[in-house]
Amino acid sequence: MKKIISIFVMCMVGLLIFSLSVFSQSEKSRIAPICKQCHTPDDKILRGTFVNVSQKAETIQMLTGTATWIINYDDNTKLIGAERINKIPKEKEIAIEIEERGGQLYAKSVSVKPPVKVPEEKLINIDELAKLIDAGPDQARFFLVDSRPEPRYHEGHIPYAISIYDAEFDKHIEKLPEDKDILLIFYCGGVT
Amino acid sequence: MPEWKKAGKLILSTVNFVKENMDKDIPQVIIDLRSSEEALKGFIQGAVSIPSEKVVNMKDKFPADKKAPVILYASDTNSAIEAFKIVRGWGYSNTSILKGGIEAWKRSGYNLAQGKPGETIVYVPKPRPGEISVEEFKGIVETLPSDKFILDVRDEDEAVQGMLRSAKNIPTQEIPKRLLEIPKDKEIIIHCSTGVRAEMAYHILKEAGYKGRFLNANIKIDKDGKYEISKD
Repeated sequence: MKKIISIFVMCMVGLLIFSLSVFSQSEKSRIAPICKQCHTPDDKILRGTFVNVSQKAETIQMLTGTATWIINYDDNTKLIGAERINKIPKEKEIAIEIEERGGQLYAKSVSVKPPVKVPEEKLINIDELAKLIDAGPDQARFFLVDSRPEPRYHEGHIPYAISIYDAEFDKHIEKLPEDKDILLIFYCGGVT
Repeated sequence: MPEWKKAGKLILSTVNFVKENMDKDIPQVIIDLRSSEEALKGFIQGAVSIPSEKVVNMKDKFPADKKAPVILYASDTNSAIEAFKIVRGWGYSNTSILKGGIEAWKRSGYNLAQGKPGETIVYVPKPRPGEISVEEFKGIVETLPSDKFILDVRDEDEAVQGMLRSAKNIPTQEIPKRLLEIPKDKEIIIHCSTGVRAEMAYHILKEAGYKGRFLNANIKIDKDGKYEISKD
């Protein structure tokens, strides 16, 4: 009788731990705040940044904002946007499609965020830009940014452009005009 | 070639560019578009005097190499526009107007050359310091000699799209804090996508005591490591 009770207690404790862990997992954020700009939260998909991968343990570590997730993977995990999992750059934005397998999370697919595609309506063509240049920034109210590395700017740039190298853009936001209604136009060398 | 440039539209260069070429002994063609009298009072060193209204008749004087960097300057930017259209129209794709003209040069505190400006354009192309030839670069990529180390300095976003076989990716701006990942006993062969960031990386590494050279050309690499190289 004692034995049965202890088994029963152990089961209860086990169930409690299990339900607690499930509970805490459901509390953990599945989407990093930055990803919410374009994606809606989805229980089956984790969105955040890549931390690292252990090929020995076949686990991926990712971060969704402040929450850390450890997810199992294997050869059947579909990889989109990278050659191999260990080739994904650190802190790269990724999405992992998950399912539960044996009480653990398994990655059905891992997708690396593709380069941003600029929507058609956000593009300006050469002739439109040339018209603005002819009118000048004061009249046409635009602000032109050369995103290439600075030496390229010195070598030759579009009239009225100012140089803010893309890789250092975050550090130079103060160079942008205070008036937020002014049309911002960016260009690079066309080769990436 | 970038669309704007291909369309033959106006392109401005800066005093920094001209001065850097001068200091590094990089060949450039500088044309003083002001009147001969003005030019005699002081000009940018190495400039050839061709007054604006005569440019149209001077096609034969220009170099055979249409990729030569041709820098036109007048007293200000706008006075050089007509000459730009003519020279660019002959196919000199790297023609630019010196932004701010000779006044900008003076404002930067640089000296004017005295005496008589040059009369003939001389242009002999020369590799930039640290530049590796496209042929040699290809050879290294194919054979991967053990004394070379291929460094891809593009951003990670670009590198994940495809890298050269056995290349290591460290973006230019991260090199100073990641020097330990680069071997000192090998020659570092650096590339980016156009040559600009590779050249910056070359100078960072040179200063840190590394031996290296860089690819000064456009390179596109696909997922399988297949690549295409072209020169502007």
